[in-house]
Amino acid sequence: MLPLQKELNATIVIAAREVLRFFKDWKTSLAFSFMFPVLFLGILGGSIAQNLGAGLGYNYLQFAFLGMVAATIAMNTMMSVTSLVEDRENDFTQEIFVAPISRYSIILGKIIGGSITSILQLFAFVLVALVMGIPVGLPAIGWILLLAPIICISGGTLGVLVASIFSSSPKTADKGVIMFVFAQMFLSGALIPVKNSSGVLGALAHAMPMTYLIDLLRGLVYQGTPFYGQIIMYNPLLDLLIVAAISIASFVIGTFLFVRSERNR
Amino acid sequence: MQSIIHVEKLTKRYRKTEKAAVNNISFDVHPGEFFAFLGPNGAGKTTTISILTTTLAKTSGNVTIAGYDINTQAKEVRQNVGIIFQNPSLDLHLSAEENIRLHVNLYGVYAYKPLFRLMPQEYQNQVLEMADYMGLREDLFKPLKTFSGGMRRKLEIIRGLMHKPKVLFLDEPSQGLDAVSRRDLWSYLRKVSKTQKTTIFLSTHYIEEAENADRVCIVNRGQIVFLGTPAEMKNRLMEKYLLLDADNRSDLCSQLEPFKPETTEDGKFKVCFEQQTPQQILSQIKTPLSLMELHMPTLEEAYMNLIENNTEETAI
Repeated sequence: MLPLQKELNATIVIAAREVLRFFKDWKTSLAFSFMFPVLFLGILGGSIAQNLGAGLGYNYLQFAFLGMVAATIAMNTMMSVTSLVEDRENDFTQEIFVAPISRYSIILGKIIGGSITSILQLFAFVLVALVMGIPVGLPAIGWILLLAPIICISGGTLGVLVASIFSSSPKTADKGVIMFVFAQMFLSGALIPVKNSSGVLGALAHAMPMTYLIDLLRGLVYQGTPFYGQIIMYNPLLDLLIVAAISIASFVIGTFLFVRSERNR
Repeated sequence: MQSIIHVEKLTKRYRKTEKAAVNNISFDVHPGEFFAFLGPNGAGKTTTISILTTTLAKTSGNVTIAGYDINTQAKEVRQNVGIIFQNPSLDLHLSAEENIRLHVNLYGVYAYKPLFRLMPQEYQNQVLEMADYMGLREDLFKPLKTFSGGMRRKLEIIRGLMHKPKVLFLDEPSQGLDAVSRRDLWSYLRKVSKTQKTTIFLSTHYIEEAENADRVCIVNRGQIVFLGTPAEMKNRLMEKYLLLDADNRSDLCSQLEPFKPETTEDGKFKVCFEQQTPQQILSQIKTPLSLMELHMPTLEEAYMNLIENNTEETAI
């Protein structure tokens, strides 16, 4: 096998393993796929919609659905990558690290595998939304499917950066990742509008990479509607550029730091 | 003979620690050798194996594996080694065969195929043959969750050998295994070492596991305190002697004169034998004996002796 072919093969294998695990452990995968939409969209979103949604002037549940879809699939992919740190010394990850392949292939394989399983989980979200009677609409589903790979890759690259931060202390990685995920979830406008946030909260909202991903998806779905100006923070093209810049920087810096710290313990 | 593993003045100092985990060690391992790397917990065994298998950077020194430098040719090194980790490194969500398949794919031996039957015939034959050899044929397609600790270790050996490595590293592989599984594991490894001509580098703190090694390297506090064959270790470090006593000690003393006995604190006679056999010594004694004890050193005694007496000065 040629060197490049070998790296490509390794990337496919690592990605395939993620998908295979998803289907092998289908009961857990299914439970987790439905747990997030039911919890955040059904219970939390439903409660906010009933009590506060009326004064917004737009359908809050549709707003929350788009935010949660983007945040959840990005975070799932991110956690798939950060698992490289969490279980480095305990399971199959050790085997991956001693294989004669580039660290870049490992990370790329994890991102692709995590992305595929995240997109599979997307269907649970749509199903819950339809059951709840949220007006999703075919164009919105089309935009979600079109943007899903970008959202996943962006989440995955963010995962590489987070993994590199925690790579020197795998024991604290799981707690650190959860803290990071929740900060993204609540400060990026996935559930609660942040367009008019100011002061510290406004600054934090703008510092969250997820903010731009969510704004991008909503910008495309809400374009041409009367609520566009009320919900959207930036032009979708600007969001896309910011997302691309953050993703490239996260991947390059994260991979460099991760590979270095992984050997220089 | 060209060494398959060459370690020269290897040192590893972890960040935020003053003392080196591995301190200036040098040794060579020859092709096909069964090399035991022995030491108590915290001696530096896992650190050394991690460096040799390129998962941990060294602080200083030179290391080559199969002629490749671990720093500049890490991929080539990894291609030529197989590793059985201290903690099992199998994917419990997958079947035994799926774990093997992922391994050969990662090592670029075969291109990825989603099913066993889609893999090349050569792979299928190799897997079935090795599973037969290790007694896992019946369980090859069963989920790993149903496997015992011993079966998982056997599977790791099959997996570790699938890419035909020149060196198989085993980092305390029998940890957590019962006595029967441990015995089986060693019997399989000896077979593998002989039939596949694979160099075995075993790290362990179980002294009995090193008994059958070609050479033993003992490390303590990051330094090598002994390097040689198990027999050399016993002979060099522990005396073989007869402990004798009689009611008539003066008669016994005169008869033992040619063997230059030492007298113990309680007046017994300690006769070391290097050139003679105990029988030759006993045949010279006419005095009725009240005590006769034969002291033959075990590898464990020699090992304990080395570890307990190890100081910075005794390191080699």
